[in-house]
Amino acid sequence: MNFINGALAIALLVLCNAAWSQSAPAGDAADGKRAYLADGCFICHGRAGQGGAMNYPAPPLAQMGYSAEVLKTILRAGLNDMPAYAEAVLSDKDVADIHAYLRVLPGRRDAKDIPLLNQ
Amino acid sequence: MSKDSHDLPGAGRRNFLKGVTLTGAAALTPAMMAQAQPPEKPAARPVPLPNIAAETLPPRADPVIQTSSGGDFMVDVLKTLDIDYLAMNCASSFRGLHEAVVNYGMNVKPEILTCPHEEIAVSMAQGYAKIEGKPMAVICHGTVGLQHASMALYNAWCDRVPVYLMIGNILDGDKRAPGVEWTHSAIDPAALVRDFVKWDDQPASLQHFAESAVRAYKVATTPPMAPVLLSLDAELQENPIPDRDRLRIPKYTKVVPPVADSGAIAEAAKLLVAAQNPVLICDRMARTPAGMARLVELAEALQCAVVDQGGRMNFPSRHPLNQTFRRLALVGEADVILAIEMNDLFGAVNAFSDRIERSTRPLYKPGTKIVTLGSRDLYLKANYQDFGRFNEVDLAIAGDGEASLPALTEAVKRLVSADHKSAFEARGKRLGQAHLATREKSKSDATIGWDASPISVARMCMELYAQIKDEDWSLVGSSINLSWPKRLWNMDRSYRWNGYSGGAGIGYNAPASAGAALANKGHGRISVAIQGDGDLMFVPSTLWTAAHHRIPILYMVQNNRAYHQEYMYLHAMAARHGRGISNAHIGTTLTNPNVDYAAMAKSFGVYAEGPITDPKDLGPAIKRAVAVLKRGEPALIDVITDPR
Ligand SMILES: Cc1ncc(C[n+]2csc(CCOP(=O)(O)OP(=O)(O)O)c2C)c(N)n1
Ligand SMILES: [Mg+2]
Repeated sequence: MNFINGALAIALLVLCNAAWSQSAPAGDAADGKRAYLADGCFICHGRAGQGGAMNYPAPPLAQMGYSAEVLKTILRAGLNDMPAYAEAVLSDKDVADIHAYLRVLPGRRDAKDIPLLNQ
Repeated sequence: MSKDSHDLPGAGRRNFLKGVTLTGAAALTPAMMAQAQPPEKPAARPVPLPNIAAETLPPRADPVIQTSSGGDFMVDVLKTLDIDYLAMNCASSFRGLHEAVVNYGMNVKPEILTCPHEEIAVSMAQGYAKIEGKPMAVICHGTVGLQHASMALYNAWCDRVPVYLMIGNILDGDKRAPGVEWTHSAIDPAALVRDFVKWDDQPASLQHFAESAVRAYKVATTPPMAPVLLSLDAELQENPIPDRDRLRIPKYTKVVPPVADSGAIAEAAKLLVAAQNPVLICDRMARTPAGMARLVELAEALQCAVVDQGGRMNFPSRHPLNQTFRRLALVGEADVILAIEMNDLFGAVNAFSDRIERSTRPLYKPGTKIVTLGSRDLYLKANYQDFGRFNEVDLAIAGDGEASLPALTEAVKRLVSADHKSAFEARGKRLGQAHLATREKSKSDATIGWDASPISVARMCMELYAQIKDEDWSLVGSSINLSWPKRLWNMDRSYRWNGYSGGAGIGYNAPASAGAALANKGHGRISVAIQGDGDLMFVPSTLWTAAHHRIPILYMVQNNRAYHQEYMYLHAMAARHGRGISNAHIGTTLTNPNVDYAAMAKSFGVYAEGPITDPKDLGPAIKRAVAVLKRGEPALIDVITDPR
């Protein structure tokens, strides 16, 4: 799947997100944290899911808006420079757990409450 | 020569006893006497006595004192070039010039900077030149020293920065001491780096040196700028000057940078004024403090988007027309793109996918007109591929970007009618809103993990900014792909940012930042660098040079305990191969043992704090470090951060 097709497929999936999320297995956030760190998600997306920078910016993931099913599709296909993760290295359960963990990460705050961000 | 060879067998020409020339033991210094005394206990086995006469006595007619030296004349020449510093790691192949700089030149203009590695010396020169607008001189051993210097030289070459590099060599085989002077000599030492210096020479006489020294300076500082190399024969440096009255130092005259052709400027102006969505993209444009103001004037005349690729401090970060972080969208909308002093134009206007099948696609629409302005097309070499992928363009204008901007701006202004003005204003307003929205998004992104430990890189950057923003500060170096300062700091002066390495040769950031900070010191500014731990591990002894020469610089070590860029690459490779994604730390991380960078810095005489793991401790630590900078000394803070 090339760059453009990958992006289109993901966009379609996001549109279908609501329907598909019904069927996603419920993940375990504690196991998800272990997988997120052990399987190296944090190396691009940060331990707090704040995102990072490789040659492209790696997007923030905390408080992820996608369903587990969409996350799985992105992970299985890869996106831009992010590689695809096959079932052999990242099981469906790992994906569901990582998704659960990303949902419980605190995520954004109001920047107005942080004086250092308003200098 | 002597320094390196006295303990090697057969190194006779310049061993320490060579000082014994006239009256034998009567001429020995106390130190020599001590060394010459027999051991108290007799050796277990009788050792044959050396043949003192054969090994130490020079030929009878050998002169022992000289009243002039070629090195003195070389210093006279260098002084005409207004070179402030000579960065070096000492080596006998240039002991003649070294001694002349110290004793004849009184160690001023140039003043010696002692560097524990030649890579440090050259990188310091690179960082210095970008702030100061003129080259620093560097000298090193012609073979081994140049080998060490070579990567840094490549960085400077890719970054289009002048470095005035000299090396020592012993041309005449009849004059070389056996042993190390042979391993340290070459018939063409510059061959090693000729692919990435603009010009080199190996003068055969002092007059030849004078002319080549002035020419080298001129070549290096003419856009496109680049390092130059002079190989200096040791005999020429060391021996008496036979004919001082005959020698003449030619006057140096700066080359006026080439301004673009007026017809081409008019055509570019027409395209820009007629465009709906013109975009200016620049990289190594601003080479003097005037550059930024000129670009602002052009952008404001057009009320158009500016994307600053950051090779120099081209455009104020908080200017409403600064759209650096909207490049992908803007290139997609553009109908005219003016690329100024861009090296990697292809990379800026195309998307690239690093997947099993590598692919590219233009980001711009068919029909978009691309205009280039710069000196890049005027000069390049074949072997190293730093010129980047070829991108077709519609109008390629040769000329120095900064020097050509005023003419272009005038041409644009002449074409802007009242109708244009209102449309331009509306465009500028839209862009200003987009700029603000981008900044708000950046702030929001920065809140994620704000209190986390390891500390988020955003938090580290904003804690640093809080402590320096009311000083006259300069960000002289950054970790790889760091975006927070450009996203959230107010970078509004030509020296707020000093560009990148050029060649992505790691080991640049620590010394180049020190060189830039040395230049800033002369202007009363304080300098800060965000410092990758992996980069620092290549050249940690830079810290000693910073302490020794009292260079006020604060290194904020972004200590992710990894060569993180490579960690990410390896992880991606493992995922692609469907195996071992939890093994990517092997060979890419710097743990077990963890490095204590603060202890390391202290051992080099640098004020240091850390490792800091609690973000709340950062502010006070940085405040203390800034106080150290203000007394003119360097400091380092080791911050345990999240990766990027
Ligand atoms: C001389 C040299 N050796 C190796 C590399 C490959 N390389 C690219 S980035 C990098 C890691 C640098 O580590 P650090 O400065 O800590 O930055 P980080 O990637 O951790 O943010 C390495 C080793 C290089 N570019 N240059
Ligand atoms: Mg690192």
